[in-house]
Amino acid sequence: MALLEVKNVTKNFGGLAAVSEVDLDVNQGEILGLIGPNGAGKTTLFNVVTGIYPPSTGKVMFEGRDITRLKAHQIAQLGIGRAFQASTLFMRLSVFDNVFNGFHLKYRVGAWRAFLHTPGARIEERHIREKVMEILEFMGLAASKDQLAQNLPYGHQKTLGVSIALATGPRLLLLDEPLCGMHPEETSAVLGLIQKVRDSGVTIVLVEHNIEAVMRLCDRIVVLTQGRKIAEGSPQEISENTEVIEAYLGTDEEDDLIAA
Amino acid sequence: MSSRATGRRQSLALSLVGLGALVLPFLVKSPYQMHLAIMLCINIMLAMSFAMLFGTGLITIGAASFWAVGAYTSAFLVMHLDLSFWLALPLAGLCAGAIALVLGSILVRAPGVAFVVQTMVINMIVVQALGQIEALGGWGGILGIPRPDPIGSLRFVGKTHFYYLVLFLLGFNLLAFYALYSSRIGRAWSAIRLNPRLAQTLGISLFRYRLLAFVIASISSGVAGSFYAHYFGTIEPGTFSVFKSIYIQIYGILGGLNFYLMGPVVGACIMTLLPEFLRVSREIEPMLTGAILVLLVIFLPGGVLSIPERISSWTESMMKRGKGSPAEVR
Repeated sequence: MALLEVKNVTKNFGGLAAVSEVDLDVNQGEILGLIGPNGAGKTTLFNVVTGIYPPSTGKVMFEGRDITRLKAHQIAQLGIGRAFQASTLFMRLSVFDNVFNGFHLKYRVGAWRAFLHTPGARIEERHIREKVMEILEFMGLAASKDQLAQNLPYGHQKTLGVSIALATGPRLLLLDEPLCGMHPEETSAVLGLIQKVRDSGVTIVLVEHNIEAVMRLCDRIVVLTQGRKIAEGSPQEISENTEVIEAYLGTDEEDDLIAA
Repeated sequence: MSSRATGRRQSLALSLVGLGALVLPFLVKSPYQMHLAIMLCINIMLAMSFAMLFGTGLITIGAASFWAVGAYTSAFLVMHLDLSFWLALPLAGLCAGAIALVLGSILVRAPGVAFVVQTMVINMIVVQALGQIEALGGWGGILGIPRPDPIGSLRFVGKTHFYYLVLFLLGFNLLAFYALYSSRIGRAWSAIRLNPRLAQTLGISLFRYRLLAFVIASISSGVAGSFYAHYFGTIEPGTFSVFKSIYIQIYGILGGLNFYLMGPVVGACIMTLLPEFLRVSREIEPMLTGAILVLLVIFLPGGVLSIPERISSWTESMMKRGKGSPAEVR
């Protein structure tokens, strides 16, 4: 059984199908790349999986459980984490507090215990603080833990987004364009991080325009165009698939390839 | 930098203010000034409710409606059902909370402008309804609401007694809110306010936490309403108008919306006491208030409590500019 199963999912906005009849399996432990020109429905698919909105038809299963109609916070509780496309962070909080907020589900200190400063509450607080530092060290952000998120360089903001998602303890992590806007050095650093995260036991799905990086990083690749899945396979298979090449080199999507 | 030192300075300042509040009746002899102090405590409680909701990204212009619910519920329970004030006070809070639970489960689903407008309209409806219902005194309101029953030999006759009662309620409110803000609930609230989209992917239910804030804020306003009714002795619908809700909002903004606890205290102090010190007439006061609000939003959007921060960032930038000649800066 696959970790995540997307079954025949369609999402309509008004009359427009942003995603239509997509089937997708994500296997335990893999890095799956989701590519396609702009407007292909990649982010919409992420939004459906994470419960931002429900699909118009179809089903989403996570660990064998139907999560199609669950709310975003419930899906997060089940173990699907997400880092957003833009730098979606708590901009006015420190790096440390950003990740601390990611521990919402594990931080159980209620009003009464917080007020009384009970030993239990203090131990729990210290425990979470340690875990925050673990993640920051893992992601190479420990040195900037006291900086405000808004003052971080762009590349670090993106890794902070991933760190927050990791704090929720996900078994599946969705990354929306983790390499977007990065220069080559940063790119290879982040690629290394993503691999490290996978090796720590987190399955990863990522949307990315940097085809070269996707080819290097991913175990499997799924190609979407205009809301439909047109190909699926190993990087090798995808790079030889005529339909994919057509979709990318087709006259009207030429610009997208150049942009990618 | 030295957050512990500033923390100690803050708690010192807080204990001084608390001590001042406790000995106030010995310093102030005029009943009118005691009345102002009592009204100030009520205003702070109302402003705290506004600030709590704002802290989850909800802006209400209907804070006065739950104050009204508390006041009318309490007056009704005591006068028609012969309940003791001491029972009616928590019941008034619970009643306001129950109404908030029902209304809130519809309202908080649509934050933003929709929430602002809906709370305002509900406030108008509440005032209209209270004016129309003859059993609740109509537009004339309810007169002769009894004072709180004596506790043992302690009888509520003078302003001082009421002052200590409301100070106790305010103190309780402050401690309870402080506890909430420093718990996981407070963390979730601030996460929602700073970035709702991110917050929900961290497993935080926007709906549940916003509803929780709405209910708690309303309970606290309801309790303030019950106290007000039995202190003032008469209540009328006009007191609880949208106009009052806007005032409550200004208390919160003036103090500083990033300061959940001290913002409402400082804002309510300034807005309650300033017109008195300036001795402006009731007709001019709204104009003054409007001017304050406009100036505030333009020049000091962070509120009065953000002034130290602004000064330090200003001096910092001055230092940077004068780096070549540090002598000049001094």
